[in-house]
Amino acid sequence: MSVIKVSNLTKTYTDTEVPVHAVNGIDLTFEKGEFAAIVGPSGSGKTTLLNMIGGLEKSTSGSVEVHGQDISELSSGKLIDFRLNNIGFVFQAYNLIPVLTAKENVEFIMQLQNWDKTKMNERTITILESVGLGDRINSKPNQLSGGQQQRVAVARALASKPQFILADEPTANLDSKSTNQLLDIMEKLNEEENITFIFSTHDQRVVDKARRVIMIDDGKVVSDDVKN
Amino acid sequence: MMLLKIAWRNIWRSKTRSAVVIFAITSGLVGGLFASAWMNGMANQRVVNTFSIETAHIQLHHPNFADNFDVKKTITSTEDKLEKISKMVGVKAVTSRLKVSAMAATANKNMGVVIVGINPETEKEVFGLYKKVDSTSGDFFVSKKKNAIVISKALAEELKVKIKSKIVLTFQDYNGEITGAAFKVIGMYKTDNNPWDKMHVFVRDVDLRKVVEIPKGQNHEIDVLLNDYEQASVISAAIQKKYPEILSEDWSEIQPYLSFITEYMDIYMGVFMIIILAALGFGIVNTMLMVILERTKELGMLMGIGMNKKRIFLMIMFETILLALVGAFVGEIISMFLINYFGKVGINISSLAEGLESVGYSAISYPMLEAYRYLQITILVILTGIVASIYPAIKALKLNPAEAIRTL
Repeated sequence: MSVIKVSNLTKTYTDTEVPVHAVNGIDLTFEKGEFAAIVGPSGSGKTTLLNMIGGLEKSTSGSVEVHGQDISELSSGKLIDFRLNNIGFVFQAYNLIPVLTAKENVEFIMQLQNWDKTKMNERTITILESVGLGDRINSKPNQLSGGQQQRVAVARALASKPQFILADEPTANLDSKSTNQLLDIMEKLNEEENITFIFSTHDQRVVDKARRVIMIDDGKVVSDDVKN
Repeated sequence: MMLLKIAWRNIWRSKTRSAVVIFAITSGLVGGLFASAWMNGMANQRVVNTFSIETAHIQLHHPNFADNFDVKKTITSTEDKLEKISKMVGVKAVTSRLKVSAMAATANKNMGVVIVGINPETEKEVFGLYKKVDSTSGDFFVSKKKNAIVISKALAEELKVKIKSKIVLTFQDYNGEITGAAFKVIGMYKTDNNPWDKMHVFVRDVDLRKVVEIPKGQNHEIDVLLNDYEQASVISAAIQKKYPEILSEDWSEIQPYLSFITEYMDIYMGVFMIIILAALGFGIVNTMLMVILERTKELGMLMGIGMNKKRIFLMIMFETILLALVGAFVGEIISMFLINYFGKVGINISSLAEGLESVGYSAISYPMLEAYRYLQITILVILTGIVASIYPAIKALKLNPAEAIRTL
């Protein structure tokens, strides 16, 4: 069974003078362990698509099924719980909690899941070490570089043991070195732990690393290529 | 725990803004608590002075004595009653008095007064009037001279008399005959209640009994001092049950005004603090709305990664309550210091002395606030924090996570 099945998904914004069809009848499936990039020009609908897959936005029509569960049918409360337990998010602007240390940021999501304190502590340290931040666990976001902050964000996304991770333009604010480090870490996690990553990006370096590239334009899938 | 930690640290993200809110809460509370303590101190002094000078805690009279101070409306077997009442649980001391309406005359002026005939020894155990006679103003029946009288300085001024001057008192005796006697001024007192001072003169009960011809064993009044004035109504009721033929009244019945003062102070302080806290609450709401606006992106992220509405609400509420509590803590510490300091040295508003004393208040007042008031204020501050957090929290919960995350 697919991890994610997107069927005839549309999103139309009607609060503008002219209705905008941001996503216009997209069908996609994602299997376990994919490392996929959704690419397209600005305004093509890739972030909206990612938000609907992640349950952050409601679709106008169509459905998003995660392991057979249609998330558009969930109430807002259940959707929040669903996101907590099934989806990891990495945002363009890192979006860490500024008053918490790297370790506390990662632990935060596990606390929301009511993890046991000892197990939570062990897992946090393991994950932060796996993203190369074992020596910065007590640093607050403002004491970390952009690349390091984004690696904490990846660690946080991984911490909740999600079905898949959605990363919205994760490298947009990073320099080349930080981008390469981040992509290497995510690729390693994908290959070694079979974690599913779906990116929205227009960064060529991400596209080069991705094993599947979905091109969308004007809210429609233009191409869907799997690299060998 | 994590929510509390985040809430606490969030307060210090914008130190200046939090400091302004904390300062507002602190100054509001200091102003409110100190003003309340000042008023409370004045009211308390008024109550304590009244017990000490005028009413004691319980008074017993013939049921019709208060109608027109009829000298024949006496309590009989006073000695026996004094002994039995003094042995009751909660009773500290008792004394008896004679009270006769009279005209005080000197060569200069006549004035209506109430002659209070006292036993100086037992009187001092119940009343503190003897302390109001300072060393330059004679004494309070130290010598055993006959027909001695202690009057107030205010009355002395009106009658233009000094120590050793004579005053002629005219009154109706026990047989209904108009009679009189001359008394020599041996002491002058001054309380904080000017009108009362002008009305009351004190003589030995043996002297007054003789000239009014009141039979031995009869008195007009028994005054009871208790260990705890709050027990007055209970003990008064017990005395009333024991002696149904006489009227027993506690201080709140004798002086309903005192009861009003104590109850009014409770209401006054409550209303005063609620107004202050309500005003502060609006300030806190405004600050928290700014916080929500500033942290839209962060709140969107928190909702996005799976923080539910209950936790978002709690986080905002904790932050609001903690912010208010910091201000309350600082405000209460400063208030406590100020109230303790001025409670010892007093606040002297002698420029208003005449006006204050005309209504029975002292020009020097000692602010006081019971310990439980601080606890009440802390609870009120927490409630203010909870109420003030509701609107900002609702605003936060209405955010759309996807749109909030895109916010710059």
